[in-house]
Amino acid sequence: MPKTIIDIRNISKVYKMGTQLVHALRDVSVSIDENEYVALMGPSGSGKSTLMNIIGCLDTPSTGTYLFNGTNINELNDNELAEIRNREIGFVFQTFNLLPRASALKNIELPLVYSGVKKYDRIDRAEAALKSVGLEDRMEHKPNELSGGQRQRVAIARALVTAPSIILADEPTGNLDTKTGNDIMKLFQNLWESGNTIIVVTHEEEIALHAKRIIRLRDGLVETDEINQNQVKF
Amino acid sequence: MFNEIKESILLSIEALRSNKLRAFLASLGVVIGISIVIMMGWLLGGLDKAMQDTFSVIGTDMLYVDKWDWTEHRNWRSFRNRKDITIRQAEQLKELHGSAEYVIPNINQGSTTIEYNGETYVGMIAVGTTAENVHTPVGNLQLGRFFNELEEEFGSNVIVIGHLVYTTIFQGEDPIGKTIKLNGRPLRVIGVVQKRGTMFFDMIDRQMFLPIKKYAGIWNVDKRSMSVGIKAGLDNNLDEVRNETIGLMRIIRNLKPNEENDFSINETKAFEKTIADIKFKVYAVGIGMTMLAFLVGIIGIMNIMFVTVTERTKEIGIRKSLGAKKRAIWIQFLVESSVLCLIGAFLSLVLCSVIAYLAATYLPLYFPEIGFLLPVLPTELFVIAAIVSLVVGLLAGLIPAIRAANLDPVEALRFD
Ligand SMILES: Nc1ncnc2c1ncn2[C@@H]1O[C@H](COP(=O)(O)OP(=O)(O)OP(=O)(O)O)[C@@H](O)[C@H]1O
Ligand SMILES: [Mg+2]
Repeated sequence: MPKTIIDIRNISKVYKMGTQLVHALRDVSVSIDENEYVALMGPSGSGKSTLMNIIGCLDTPSTGTYLFNGTNINELNDNELAEIRNREIGFVFQTFNLLPRASALKNIELPLVYSGVKKYDRIDRAEAALKSVGLEDRMEHKPNELSGGQRQRVAIARALVTAPSIILADEPTGNLDTKTGNDIMKLFQNLWESGNTIIVVTHEEEIALHAKRIIRLRDGLVETDEINQNQVKF
Repeated sequence: MFNEIKESILLSIEALRSNKLRAFLASLGVVIGISIVIMMGWLLGGLDKAMQDTFSVIGTDMLYVDKWDWTEHRNWRSFRNRKDITIRQAEQLKELHGSAEYVIPNINQGSTTIEYNGETYVGMIAVGTTAENVHTPVGNLQLGRFFNELEEEFGSNVIVIGHLVYTTIFQGEDPIGKTIKLNGRPLRVIGVVQKRGTMFFDMIDRQMFLPIKKYAGIWNVDKRSMSVGIKAGLDNNLDEVRNETIGLMRIIRNLKPNEENDFSINETKAFEKTIADIKFKVYAVGIGMTMLAFLVGIIGIMNIMFVTVTERTKEIGIRKSLGAKKRAIWIQFLVESSVLCLIGAFLSLVLCSVIAYLAATYLPLYFPEIGFLLPVLPTELFVIAAIVSLVVGLLAGLIPAIRAANLDPVEALRFD
């Protein structure tokens, strides 16, 4: 039996907007195993990002339980959540979220700084990660000296550098043209094939078709959750 | 922790470099505050040094029995009404004193006119004294020797001149063996006293010392009050010597038990109070200004740090998403505000070093009485400035840093 990494049971997330309550997630149960490749789909406002933030331990559910690698996330304090984000989760965002003043290499080193890895070790590992996304000749470039696709590769390298249990990508191709978007998806496919667990949030059908499993959300509920029979591979 | 701080220092220097003008403006309040602290320490250091110099001029183991009080100027009338201390009384004191090492009568004649090489010089002070004066700080000679007991006994035509007398009259020429005239009487220069003058005692270099008997041959000794120098020998003997001196003087001056002393015992302790008064004023003004400047400085830095935190909300969100703990975030911002303040301290030290050097070099040319200024800042001020700026940096950065650390990561990531 494959190992279960994410075990979400009946979670909800409610935001208070003044006196109004916004139910971003109503009652969601999802279980994701090691080395799955999942696309999270749904219309705007359906709760994709909210679910992603909860899975990534950036946010906590209002009700329900979330077991990450068997650990109940509700029982962890801020520091423990930060440690899980640092070691177990690799985030990739639509807007890349690189530090503008730092070089590509420095950006990739950052998660290792927070896990207390020594300088020389850090540089070695950051260089290896940069190499794995094909940007070894751009180490000293600042984000504004890189193209959108290159920036997203740096972000992916940063997500990979700590060898996390899972990579979470929220609309990773949303700011890229089709060709560059495909390059990024090819990268995710490679990562998946080499054993990584990947969740990609998207509202584009073509992007979702690259995944092995597609979960559709609507109004804070799981609408469908099925294996993608027509997985598109590069 | 150490590694974290090191990383944060590098980070903050980078962040500050990217906004130099703002960093400079932010630290201006701190620069002013720390400059005031430094200048205050510098002044106090100078005063302390002047005090030490004065003490060594007078001698910490010396008492002077005088009609006048050195530091009490307010009711000088009551001093003027005192009877003079006569040469006879001074001699009696010397004969009777048991605990003192030396008792040295002095008699002063101000505004003495000197003739040398056809020129006339005014404003010097002739002091009739005994050979034992060689055992007081007066005995530290730059050139020649002090007069001896034989010369004292015979009232020889010899004189030991103060440093200012030497530079004024001889201007680099060798004075030893030269003859100068006081009131038309020729005297042979046999010694020059080292430069001793300080802000509290600038007249001292105008003195010239000659045997009392010789003095008596030139001026009327009954017209002036004596000043009797008493050397205790050891500092810890001072109380006993002082008590005996007061007791003897009361007997010599025929004071009844209910009468107040009609003489003053002057000693270096008197200056301690004067200097303590000055220091207190410098402290009071300085601390007031410092508090004000620091308040402004802290508010300035705190304000800039709040702006910085707001501007970098997104960055904080990114860092948190990558696993930065709260501690890492607040350390980063505390370090940044501390670095900002340390830069302020550094600027202040540069600024104040220049001011101190220029002030100590050029101001005394116009205002000789502030010759006590130190041209170089005392080293401890560098440490103090660093510590004070660190404290200000930590205080000013505390609330913004806590705010940054407590930002919600999802909210922060959404920020643009
Ligand atoms: N901090 C918040 N405060 C209030 N409401 C929120 C907050 N975050 C999200 N919501 C609401 O929760 C719902 C789900 O938002 P979410 O960002 O998860 O949607 P999404 O599926 O990611 O949409 P999109 O495709 O546009 O990114 C939306 O109605 C949104 O307005
Ligand atoms: Mg979204």
